[in-house]
Amino acid sequence: MSFIEVKNISKTFKVSKRGSGIPGMLANLVAPKYEKREAVKDISFSIGQGETVGFIGPNGAGKSTTIKMLSGILYPDSGEITCSGVIPYKQRKSYVGRIGVVFGQRSQLQWDLPVKDSFELLKAIYRIPDDVYKKNLGRFTEMLDMSGFIDQPVRQLSLGQRMRSDIAAALLHSPEVVFFDEPTIGVDVIGKEAIRGFIRELNAEDNVTMIFTTHDMQDIEKTCKRVIIIDKGSKVYDGALTDIREHYDQTRTLEVEFTTNTETEPINGVETEDIDARHKRFIFGKDIHINDLMSQLLQNYSVRDINISEPDIESIIRKIYSREGAA
Amino acid sequence: MTAYIAYARKVFLGRSAYRFDHLMSILSVVLQFFIFCEIYRALYGGAEQIDGITMSMVTTNFVLSLGLGTIFSPDDYFLPNKIWDGSISTELLRPISFKGRMIAENVGDSAFNLIFKFIPVLIVALLTTGVEPPADIPCLLLFILSAVLGYGVLWSISFAIQMTSFWLINIWSLVTIKNVFVNVLSGSMIPLWFMPEWMQGVLDFTPFASIYFTPVQIYLGQLSYGEIAAKCAIQLVWIVLIYLIGEILWRKGQRKLIVQGG
Amino acid sequence: MRDTLHLMAVYTKTTAKAWFQYRVDAVLRSLAVFLREATGIIVIWFTLLKFDTLNGWDIYEMLFLFSLLFLTYGIMIIFFTGLRDFGKTVRDGSFDRFILRPRGLLFQIIFVNSDWFAAIGHGGLGLVLFLLSAGKVGIRWDLFNALYYVLTVAGGVLIQGAVFLLLAALNIYLLQTESLKEMLYWNMRKFAGYPISIFNRFIRIIMIYVMPFAFVNYFPAQFLLRKSDMAEYPEIYMYLTPVIGILMYLAAYCFWRFSIRFYKSSGN
Repeated sequence: MSFIEVKNISKTFKVSKRGSGIPGMLANLVAPKYEKREAVKDISFSIGQGETVGFIGPNGAGKSTTIKMLSGILYPDSGEITCSGVIPYKQRKSYVGRIGVVFGQRSQLQWDLPVKDSFELLKAIYRIPDDVYKKNLGRFTEMLDMSGFIDQPVRQLSLGQRMRSDIAAALLHSPEVVFFDEPTIGVDVIGKEAIRGFIRELNAEDNVTMIFTTHDMQDIEKTCKRVIIIDKGSKVYDGALTDIREHYDQTRTLEVEFTTNTETEPINGVETEDIDARHKRFIFGKDIHINDLMSQLLQNYSVRDINISEPDIESIIRKIYSREGAA
Repeated sequence: MTAYIAYARKVFLGRSAYRFDHLMSILSVVLQFFIFCEIYRALYGGAEQIDGITMSMVTTNFVLSLGLGTIFSPDDYFLPNKIWDGSISTELLRPISFKGRMIAENVGDSAFNLIFKFIPVLIVALLTTGVEPPADIPCLLLFILSAVLGYGVLWSISFAIQMTSFWLINIWSLVTIKNVFVNVLSGSMIPLWFMPEWMQGVLDFTPFASIYFTPVQIYLGQLSYGEIAAKCAIQLVWIVLIYLIGEILWRKGQRKLIVQGG
Repeated sequence: MRDTLHLMAVYTKTTAKAWFQYRVDAVLRSLAVFLREATGIIVIWFTLLKFDTLNGWDIYEMLFLFSLLFLTYGIMIIFFTGLRDFGKTVRDGSFDRFILRPRGLLFQIIFVNSDWFAAIGHGGLGLVLFLLSAGKVGIRWDLFNALYYVLTVAGGVLIQGAVFLLLAALNIYLLQTESLKEMLYWNMRKFAGYPISIFNRFIRIIMIYVMPFAFVNYFPAQFLLRKSDMAEYPEIYMYLTPVIGILMYLAAYCFWRFSIRFYKSSGN
């Protein structure tokens, strides 16, 4: 049963276009030019309750625009969105009380005041009952380890501490859906781990539906089961993270260390790369059986060590972008 | 040198991005001009001249001082902004003079204002109200010289004030208060002929009259060559004096920056 | 209702608390605003030392005229800072955050921030000018005149608030309306300190019918001072300030409600 249903949404922006140099400046003074940019083109998907979905794509791919339409900030030009039976951009007040949004680059905390004051303000804004507030605050303070800085002004916090506070702020009213826009940007490795751990825990315990956009593939790998890849405003992939390999890149790599300096004969269907005189890399597709290749190598040469690897997700995704770019 | 020209050019070009803002800022000056003229028309009440000052001299004072005001636009927050966001430490490591760059960017900005602000304002003023022509050609040339010096005075005031941001960081209040003094005492809001006499005495000890009023007096031919030489010398003295204060603060400020690491 | 009042109180508490974080800066800023706004008054004071009266208005009457302008702005800005800065709110993405909260958008804009520096700078100046002039311009401060004064100040607050609201609504279409505000509000406000009778017909029409600053201070001051230049205008104008305030505010509010549907988030 789908919880969020998105049907054929599109969004176009008008952007001003400026020429360069003095002629461009004069032209802009007289007659500014605009061009249309299609930020989102005909995207559809559905998301079930309790799912964790990551949106990835290069800068300007349309991730943010999609998230903004889902959270009710933007009207789509065409298409429809329903989220737990509500149309976000039409029934704003009743909808936004049920969602939480974390913008990694824009804090919603009061810059000059202690974190706690921002929480108190949010309690009043969202009409959070005392008992729920107390329960959530206690729980998040513990899970996110905030007790050390909850009484400090936000401007004195490290980026990681601020981000943890921002995440807690977005969740105080127990939302059913949470949108994370770059939730770990600029945060150090330990901070990132703490945030990811919290997200996993919350998803497991409360069955909160979570939607991410991020540049950090680690975020996605550690928190999401499903990814939607968006590029140039269109959806190019939607499925399990683990299936991306299956779908896009089925090559594997065999790294071999020989006992002595060795020249190998070319093998049909296998690409050979020299690392140095004694190390070689063999790259091959699904049509080659790994047993055959290995036995062939072991029979013909003196091998000290063998190591098999699959390409990491990040490089596959990089390949997907560049392929789209080339087309 | 090419680096400084590049900075000036960048600012000049960057200014064109906000077309509407620009038109509005021209309009703002023109309106200010009209208000002052209307007030003085009412104050004159049809009188030919008061204390030897005619209405068209008053008008000319406003056109020139408000007009020069459009060109004279030192960026009071050039240094404070860089201190506030911490970029000052890297800026100082660049292989070009920070002060040189500050001047270059101001010059680029002023050049833009001269062409796209001062000239339109002047044209509107010429078309709508009587502006006196310059007394004679030498006066016009000396007016230009004195106006450049006037800009120097305003620039060094801004320079010295900006240097306090090494200690105060946020100098909005100080800049605002400085602008109050410049506006009231430089003649751009009240022609200094009409200041009470004791106030004119006080003004002689401040740099403000030499920003706009000295050039205006020269333009109108109110000063003899001897007086012009003296007034321009006073302008130069103010530039050097205030700049030196700024320079001392600049050196102390940099030292503070190094000691505290920004 | 109780819930809304509670939230208003929490917002106000938060703003005040943030303000008290930088007390010295706050005092300096308020003083700077006070002095900046006093510039025009210092100028008119120097000018009237020389010329005595401006179209029949002496210095105290001028101060009274100015005081209404500053007092109304000082009160208005406590509530309308968010509308004054609306362009920035849209550009830096804070407005997106307002949309994401289950409260009225205008309510949030109004209560989330107050520029206390401006409130104290302008309001303080207005108060000082009022105290300097109120006893010296021959106004009998009986109950009726005092009531008139209160209503007319409220009207002046609403007139200026309506303009800010209108400009904020226009921001939704234009993204940059600072210049328009400069033009329509701040520039016209430069005229507003003076008796409008000194200006030409065109300016007077604007000050009465386009950007009605004349109803913020000139006509109310005329009711209390009865200067001879009032003869040029219908007498009824002296009573209209509260009505115009309410009508303008309602009109601006309707336009805001209509416009907000077209809001486009500014990307990044």
